Amino acid sequence: MRSLSSLVGGAAVILLAAGLYVGLVASPPDAFQGDYVRIMYVHVPSAFVAYLAVGTVFVASILYLWRGREVYDHVAHSAGELAALFTALALAGGMIWGKPVWGTWWTWDARLVTTAILFLIFAGYLLVRELAEDRRRGARLAAVIGIIGALDVPIIHYSVVWFRTLHQPASIVRGDIKMAPPMVTALMINLLAFALLYLYLLLQRVRLERLEAAGAAAGAES
Amino acid sequence: MSAWRRTVALARKDLLLEWRGRETITAMAVLALLVVLLLGFVLGAEPPRAPAILWVALALAAMLGVARPTQAEVEQQALETLLLYPGSREHLYWGKWAALTVLLTVLLALLLVTLGVLFNVDLWAKLPALFGVGVLGIAGLSAVGTLFAALVIHVRGRELLMPLLLLPVALPVVLGGVRLTEAVLTDAPGGGLWFGMLAVFDILFLLVAPILYEVVMEEA
Repeated sequence: MRSLSSLVGGAAVILLAAGLYVGLVASPPDAFQGDYVRIMYVHVPSAFVAYLAVGTVFVASILYLWRGREVYDHVAHSAGELAALFTALALAGGMIWGKPVWGTWWTWDARLVTTAILFLIFAGYLLVRELAEDRRRGARLAAVIGIIGALDVPIIHYSVVWFRTLHQPASIVRGDIKMAPPMVTALMINLLAFALLYLYLLLQRVRLERLEAAGAAAGAES
Repeated sequence: MSAWRRTVALARKDLLLEWRGRETITAMAVLALLVVLLLGFVLGAEPPRAPAILWVALALAAMLGVARPTQAEVEQQALETLLLYPGSREHLYWGKWAALTVLLTVLLALLLVTLGVLFNVDLWAKLPALFGVGVLGIAGLSAVGTLFAALVIHVRGRELLMPLLLLPVALPVVLGGVRLTEAVLTDAPGGGLWFGMLAVFDILFLLVAPILYEVVMEEA
């Protein structure tokens, strides 16, 4: 477990460095966005990892309620924290990119709103866990919210998309953006790097969670 | 006792308690009226705004009342007794869900009349359709609300957490309700899509929530 984690961590560091190099140096600035396009190499992977984390919470929560094994709860809790972290990062990155390119920090774009709502759901997820009567109860209640929240994501997404687009034309019309090969490379490397980073953080957090649980159990005995 | 009779008995008990005290409905109705007055005054009471204000008022008032029936049970220490009855706890969920749906439907009726009068919306001819749209949304809202009401019992702060948990999850109900109400009022196309979305929301959570209710209600 330790060696797997180190392996994943090492690979993530190498790929992040490569992604940084390709994204900042080797890839050209965008014809329309200029250098701002480089923010995308961080923003898109953050959003991708956020959804990956939500999926992890969903699967781990179901497995925990079904099988009742502690390790599934540790995974769900760790992924829940990462979901909150990466939705926040995706929102921040998107806003920083939106200011120069769209001319505004925030638009009522469907993806922005969905991500913001997702962040709030996982804030609630973590709060319930912290405020529950005891550890086990918190784990089970959080699993319920994780399942409901993840099931709701597609419905929230489509309701927000339709709410805007069927009523008024979208404020930003994005055509088919053809990406130059170096840009695609930069994005792909960063997507992979972030996925590995996510896996590494998840493994580390699960390990910490297990130690915490063992510590709590030891404390209860003495 | 059959499953159906159990559910009806539970819903009847909750509604009878509410009828004797009328605490929840009063609080919800007053809040909803305040929201309507406030938004109507601040934004302007043009008829096209009515659907949005209807659903915002309904959702905010629901936040206040959703946890109430379950909370009252805890305060009277009657929940343990209810849980001691043999048999599946799913009926407990369905009973609470039915009571909450009836309660919110009463609120909906009050709100429709208020908006028709205050916003000068010509809704009287379309009242059955508007009512149907409202109940469709309310069914989904109660489906998640009943589950979360049982969930917050075991969390410090209890009702304080309800808006944070329920509002983001119930967002599609509010959005769908607004657009579907607009479609009914203006005879605009596009209502079918929203009807489908609300139906999917209702069915999904009415299937999932009773299962998760057992998880929430079990003794730790």
